[in-house]
Amino acid sequence: MVVLSAARWVRSRLTDRFWRVQEVLKYARHFRGRKNRCYRLAVRSVRRAFVKSTKARREKKRFLRALWITRIEAASLEHGLKYPAFISNLAKAQVELNRKVIADLAIYEPKTFKSLAALAQRRRQEGFLAALGDGKEPEGIFSRIVRHY
Amino acid sequence: MTARGSPSRFLTAVLHNGVGRYVRQLQRLQLLFSPIAADSRGARQFVEEAALDFARQHPDVVLYVSPRPGLAPALLAEYLNGTVREELIASKTCEEIMQLATKLAGQSGLDIIRIRKPFHTDNPSVQGQWHPLTNKPSALTVQGPRLQLQ
Repeated sequence: MVVLSAARWVRSRLTDRFWRVQEVLKYARHFRGRKNRCYRLAVRSVRRAFVKSTKARREKKRFLRALWITRIEAASLEHGLKYPAFISNLAKAQVELNRKVIADLAIYEPKTFKSLAALAQRRRQEGFLAALGDGKEPEGIFSRIVRHY
Repeated sequence: MTARGSPSRFLTAVLHNGVGRYVRQLQRLQLLFSPIAADSRGARQFVEEAALDFARQHPDVVLYVSPRPGLAPALLAEYLNGTVREELIASKTCEEIMQLATKLAGQSGLDIIRIRKPFHTDNPSVQGQWHPLTNKPSALTVQGPRLQLQ
């Protein structure tokens, strides 16, 4: 007997369920508890982990900037300057270094940082002299502005 | 794709390649394709037109051309550190395969995972790294008979 509809009796089976499950579990292996083993719990945890990691990219920038500022503050206090005075006077002296670079200099090149602190201190004194003085003294050397046209 | 969920590495060069002589990290490139199938057309065109040029431009890479029937066309790249990378070239044009081969020839065999920082240095400090006694007066650090006498 020829059965022409035998093919319809054979249903297709899912054969790569293991790998589909492993794709999710591989991101959950360092979690705590059953959510690092059980797929049903891991799916929810992995999705939340991805969402948090996406949102945290914006926070990371803020966090790192705060870290740099803390480090620069500590380093400039060693040289007798507070952070607002250091940063503002460095900007007035046209030293266009960002906080990341200044923090790295404070860690790895302490003498360079000391000279930067001295520059900021001198610019601060010149600012005071210009504001409080009579106008008879010549303007400070580090107060001169270089214009790049 | 979290930082701790997926592997990551620091930026390195294999054995400081490029500091002295530059050694190409691609060891051999195997071009596997079918002589008859339709998706290997680009691969066959590449073999006819551009494979010799590629081999001449990269004399330190060994190019193996293996036509085998019933095979998904692929470029198999083996690197000096043992990494094997397979790129499928089904339904790609000759130019795309050339671009792909050039890209593979420029890579080192290091894993293609997240690189933590886009820079790396073995000697980060020239003036000496900061330590708590860096900016303190040297009377605190110097020990000697002269100091004790005073």
